[in-house]
Amino acid sequence: MTPVVGIVANPVSARDIRRVVANAANLQVTDRANILLRVLAALRACGVAEVLMMPEKGGIRGHVERGVARARAHGEDPYPAIHPVAMPVTGTVEDTHRATRAMRQAGVSAIVVLGGDGTHRAVAAQCGAVPIAGISTGTNNAFPDHREPTITGLATGLAVTGRVPPHIAFAGNKRIDVAINGETPSEIALVDVALVAERYIGARALWRTENFRELYVTFADPEVIGMSAIAGLLEPVTRGESGGLMVRLSPAGQTSPPSGPRPGGTILRAPIAPGMMAAVGVTDWRRMPAGVPFVPEVEAGTIALDGERELSFTARDRLSLTLRDDAFRTVNVSGCMRHAAENRLLTGTPVPVSADL
Amino acid sequence: MSRKISMKQAINEALDLEMRRDPTVIVMGEDIVGGTGAHGEADAWGGVLGVTKGLHAKHGDRLMDTPLSESAYIGAAIGAAACGLRPVAELMFMDFMGVCFDQIFNQAAKFRYMFGGKAETPVVIRGMVGAGFRAAAQHSQMLTPLFTHIPGLKVVCPSNAYDAKGLLIQAIRDNDPVIFCEHKNLYGMECEVPAESYAIPFGEANVLRDGDDVTIVSYGLTVHRAMAAADALARERVEAEVIDLRTLSPIDWDSIVESVERTGRLVVVDEAHPRCNLATDIAAYVGQHAFGALKAGVQMVTAPHTPVPFAPSLEDLYVPSAEAIAAAALRTLAPTGTTPRSIAA
Amino acid sequence: MTENPFPLSKDDLLRAYRTMRTIREFEERLHVDFAKGDIPGFVHLYAGEEACATGIMMHLNDNDRIASTHRGHGHCIAKGVDVHAMMAEIYGRSTGACRGKGGSMHIADLSKGMMGANGILGAGAPLICGAALAAKVRGDRGVGITFVGDGASNQGTFLESLNLAAVWNLPVVFVVENNGYAESTAMEWAVSCDSYVDRATGFGMPGVTVDGTDFFAVHEAAGEIIRRAREGGGPALLECNMVRFYGHFEGDAQTYRAKGEVEALRASRDCLVMLGERVIEAGVIARAELQAIDGEVAALIEDAVRAAKAAPLPAAGDLLTDVYVAY
Repeated sequence: MTPVVGIVANPVSARDIRRVVANAANLQVTDRANILLRVLAALRACGVAEVLMMPEKGGIRGHVERGVARARAHGEDPYPAIHPVAMPVTGTVEDTHRATRAMRQAGVSAIVVLGGDGTHRAVAAQCGAVPIAGISTGTNNAFPDHREPTITGLATGLAVTGRVPPHIAFAGNKRIDVAINGETPSEIALVDVALVAERYIGARALWRTENFRELYVTFADPEVIGMSAIAGLLEPVTRGESGGLMVRLSPAGQTSPPSGPRPGGTILRAPIAPGMMAAVGVTDWRRMPAGVPFVPEVEAGTIALDGERELSFTARDRLSLTLRDDAFRTVNVSGCMRHAAENRLLTGTPVPVSADL
Repeated sequence: MSRKISMKQAINEALDLEMRRDPTVIVMGEDIVGGTGAHGEADAWGGVLGVTKGLHAKHGDRLMDTPLSESAYIGAAIGAAACGLRPVAELMFMDFMGVCFDQIFNQAAKFRYMFGGKAETPVVIRGMVGAGFRAAAQHSQMLTPLFTHIPGLKVVCPSNAYDAKGLLIQAIRDNDPVIFCEHKNLYGMECEVPAESYAIPFGEANVLRDGDDVTIVSYGLTVHRAMAAADALARERVEAEVIDLRTLSPIDWDSIVESVERTGRLVVVDEAHPRCNLATDIAAYVGQHAFGALKAGVQMVTAPHTPVPFAPSLEDLYVPSAEAIAAAALRTLAPTGTTPRSIAA
Repeated sequence: MTENPFPLSKDDLLRAYRTMRTIREFEERLHVDFAKGDIPGFVHLYAGEEACATGIMMHLNDNDRIASTHRGHGHCIAKGVDVHAMMAEIYGRSTGACRGKGGSMHIADLSKGMMGANGILGAGAPLICGAALAAKVRGDRGVGITFVGDGASNQGTFLESLNLAAVWNLPVVFVVENNGYAESTAMEWAVSCDSYVDRATGFGMPGVTVDGTDFFAVHEAAGEIIRRAREGGGPALLECNMVRFYGHFEGDAQTYRAKGEVEALRASRDCLVMLGERVIEAGVIARAELQAIDGEVAALIEDAVRAAKAAPLPAAGDLLTDVYVAY
């Protein structure tokens, strides 16, 4: 049986207020469709004949279908057959959840995800053991690598067709489970959980650093932007090592608050959004070992997952955060491509030169 | 002080004087400065035919080039007018009205009435009208009847530099939207114009020549053809009274009726197409209000019911000629059932 | 009462709720009275979309201008136009906001910065560019907001205005009220570029999409965008995804909508209910306080209808006033 690959392409990532409060990019729908066509061509080149795709009403599918039809009109057939998941489209994150569940049940070998950290989180929440191949089309995007999607498609194709052995093709990833009032887990985060003082969801994005209180990250990378950068600029923690980092934050420059958070011992300037360097008051930080529940000190506020405010909590709510190693799998693109090169996976037998020439 | 200047200069002067007088006056349009964002001369064009040349040096950013985007900037001029400015927007060729007419006839023209008298829209839309410039079908029309039809719009079409200056100053000061039609073939025509500021009230026709035998009513370029016809008629001992309407809405009915009641004969000349134009409008009004005074049927001299042709030989046939106007006047004088003489104008 | 966790004071939250409730009550009442045949002409209701107008307008003052749409009652109320004057206008009475000469589709109050509802789709966009230009020329820090539906976003006037506002760097915010339907035609079909953020990007300005049924989301995003425009940062586009509780116009049988669609939207995405529940849940406002507002608003609308019905019709002579009459 040839492997089937799932495709979740979020048409509405990178649409939030960071285009105004910061200078975040907007990847246009036509560009998302072009990325998808590149991925599809790479998958097909590796022998993937069918993909299962999340339906959406954001316009990606129409552009992709146009691209496929145009290739066919040229007499070419460079793409796998595209099957939409049979499901209603609500235009909410529930579409991603539902499509991912359906793909898992259909036995896809991997799911290619186009979106930001939020889209990847939604897929990771439902994908079980199915590996994710992430492509960044969001705003902050600490989780998916920034690379040419054709390569991600090639690596995924090589991985799911078994030409790269699984121990090289796939890698384990950390996540943080957020339990609210004992429900485990109520929410997950792939990169960071931030607890902020403001208690409304509003326009979701995080940028008011004076409200930042506590930060928990699965990896602390000084080369990304967003909350992970704050941790990364203090004490880098790689994706591959066990455990993460917990940082306590306070309003920058505040020295003697009558009550509330302690003053920041350190003022850190961190790129918290595209083009946005902000002063963040850092009280202290510590390693966050895997499997150890952390109970926040913040009594009330909002939980932001991977950079977006998601839910408010009050003093009545009991919060617990636990980092899990090896919680879900991703396609190791670097590993796959290195293996492909070392083993000449993309090198065919030379075509003999015809005597007629 | 009075000196001879062209209509183009007179319009420039009116804009200059009003911008000096009133800081809320702004001027916008395609290429009215010219070369904005390009690397050549500043104020490169001053309008496609140079009407606004030099104003940018005097008034800076109050003269604004616009994108080629008539709906947007004509609408913006209207919106700014509703918010207290007195914008003068140049539409270049009035033919371009087709792409922005909604903003004029559905928005600007209606605000005051539709909002119960609580809004004013003191905007002036300037643009070129008229044939004879070899500009062909989409840059030559006399669309004045279209604008005159719309309640809430005031429509002006001067025939000379003196009137153009006074009427434009009045238009800028008027609190209603004004469509200011400039005949491109009159731009270079000079006459005595005072250097100082003056306003010519709307709704006051100008009697250019007195006469008791026949009344000739016109506006714009054809006023000059009517005057030439009157000169020719005078040589035949026919004294024509020539009335220049100057503004089409409001219109000076009293001057027309008073003249017709004296002469008993009427020729109406309109460069617009023959159906539902100023000529038919005036003929109908006189028929209703001065029928008893008429000694002959009203004669109408208009452009034909065709688009404006390009070939110079055809275009010269298109615009009403002095000969046609004189012939029409003679028809009003001819006993019923006879063929009038033709004369050379 | 606990500490207020919201970015608005309690008074402002109450004001927001009152505005949204007033719009809802106004529209629900028109729906009933129109069906009875009491109201002449065309009426387009804003019910379900209240969070958008309210969340945006709370950042504006009378010096800021808005250009509205055919579905303009909500914009009028949120911008502070007198409810009695509005109701009288819709009833065609001489006490109306436009003395009975405008009607539902043309309510305006320039003293409040409300430049008119508009019967021509997309026509408000150029006008608001002019309003913003006037503010810029005067240097009074005013901003202009134009509302456009997903349908009218296809009008050339709208697209031209995006370009003009960007070229002139005008303090304009283009609000796309995306309720999914251009009259009866689906947005997904009629808008070739499915993302309004893409359209904004195409004209060189930022675009932001928010859940237009979430008052706090609209309020926060609009606040940032309006502040940016006020500070000289230039135009931006805000897409509010929202839901329409009624048809395109009153009398529309809405046979193009899926069975149960409206009921489901009312149950799950009622912006007024969501706002009320959240402020109650947070312990900032008591249910009784909201109920008291509900009662006051109901009385206000009842009085507005009573006054409108009792008000004199325009006099015959009014036919010929407020315009230059050539004849």
